[in-house]
Formats: sequence, C-alpha cells, structure tokens
Amino acid sequence: MSAAAPALAPAHRRTVTVRLADAAVTVAYLSLIFALLLVSFPVSFPRIIVTSWQSGYLVLVMMVLTLVLDAFLYLRVSYLLKAKPTVLVAACLGSLPIIVVGGLSFLLESAVAQTISLDLPNLQARVNEEILAHTYLGLVSAIFLPFLVIRLLQQFKATK
Amino acid sequence: MSVKWVVWIGLYLVMGVLVPWATALSWAHQHGSELRPRPRQLFQRGELGLIGLVVVISVIWNLLQSQFMQQTIAVATVLLALIGTMSGDVWIESYCRQSTGTVCNHERTWRDSKNLAFLVFSMAVVVEILLDRFSKVATL
Repeated sequence: MSAAAPALAPAHRRTVTVRLADAAVTVAYLSLIFALLLVSFPVSFPRIIVTSWQSGYLVLVMMVLTLVLDAFLYLRVSYLLKAKPTVLVAACLGSLPIIVVGGLSFLLESAVAQTISLDLPNLQARVNEEILAHTYLGLVSAIFLPFLVIRLLQQFKATK
Repeated sequence: MSVKWVVWIGLYLVMGVLVPWATALSWAHQHGSELRPRPRQLFQRGELGLIGLVVVISVIWNLLQSQFMQQTIAVATVLLALIGTMSGDVWIESYCRQSTGTVCNHERTWRDSKNLAFLVFSMAVVVEILLDRFSKVATL
C-alpha cells in the first residue's frame, strides 16, 4: 500500500508556546496606567477603589478584568503564531486568575483587620493605602502568574 | 506628589543602560574602531534582565523597610522576586545556549529581556509611588 499523499494528510497545527515576554508588556502598560492615574488623580482614583471595595464590587471587577485580559493575550498570541490553543492552557487561564484574586482578597481582609487592631494614628488612610496596594498587586499577579504557570508546565512537558 | 521615585528609577536607567552604552562608544572611539553598538546590540544576550534583577532587589529592600502590613509586604516581595528571577533567567538561558552550542536566537533574547525589564521598571515605579504615599500617611 502506498503512503498517503501529503496533500491528503491531516494538517497538524502546533500548539501555542507562551512566552512570558508577551504577558510582560501588557502588565507593564497596565502598571504605567495605574501609576499615571495615581499621579494624576491622587485623591479620586484611590477613593473609587476604596469605595468599590467597601461595596464589595472590587474583587468581582478584578476577576472579570483579569480573565478578559488573560484570554485576550492568549488568543492574540495563538493568532500571531497561527497555533492551536490547548485545553490545559484554557483551564489554567480560566481558573488561576479567579484563584489568585480570591486568595489575595482574603489576605487583604486579614491585613485590614490587623491594621485596625493595632490602633495606629491615621487609621483610615492606612487602610485605604493597603487596599490600593493590594488592588495593584492583585491585578499584576492575576495576569502574570497564570502565564508563568503555563510557561513552566510547557517547559516541563517539553523536557519530559 | 514627590518626584524622588522618578529620580530613583532614572538613576537605574542611567547607570544600568546609558553608562554602559556610552562606555562602549567611548572605547570604540579610543581604539579607533568602527564599532558603533546600539543598545539593542550591546544587550542582545539578555543583560537587561540582569539590570531588572538588580532593580527588583532594591525595591524589595525598600518594601521590607516600609510600614505596610506584613501580608502586603509578603505578596509584593514574592511577586517582585518571581518577576525579577524570570527577568534574570533570560540572560542565564542565553548563556547556557551559547555555552552548549544550542541554537540561540538573539532577536528573541533581546525581546524577552527588554519586555521583562520594562515590566520590572514599571512595577518598580508603581511600588515606589505606593511606598511614597504610605510613608506620608504614616508620618501624619
């Protein structure tokens, strides 16, 4: 029996190999926007964040924002490389941002509770600064860490 | 808003990027060489990643001396350390590839190190702004 003609053989698309540099640029621009907002609106921008944390929307907004950004980044990379997205990566990108933001919100609660218990001067302003810092760190972690995990998993798979 | 963090980050840019580049040009001039390296050629093996690592160490040191709660300091420190390590890793991978004769794409190394160093610098700016704000609040 003769071998299948190359034209009839099924076309194999390679899977997306994520590089941290792709996610790094997005996170860097996000950081610069955050910095710009902090410098331009030193009172109103933190107030918006603190108000949304007090009303319970902040964590939800962060989850949605990071999920959308992660999905957009991954799809963009796969489009540029003309490569096939994988289920494992989709699962990582779908779950890790939620886990990271959720975990960090528990840490924030704990930090706020500890600040209040210390009975320090200028308490409200200290709490506000803690919320601001955690918001920024949560955004960066939830975008960067899933890509770091995917990169390490891909490297592990390649060496195996 | 204080601008000391702009000066602080500018120092790293000047000492880490501009001075080595100017030194390379000066060396070429002294030796009558035609060599006119651009920053991209000078740092094509991922050296920018090492500069990023140095910046991260400095930011972590500042964080550890701040009055933020330990949870905040821990999260920020671990995140910065991870990103700094990945940034320095670009140079290490490039070195290992060259030493073992494995295919090394200088374009990709330059892009990776540039992007990760950009991330480190932008994060350093935000963390320094946050530290600056917090120190003002704490001293009130």
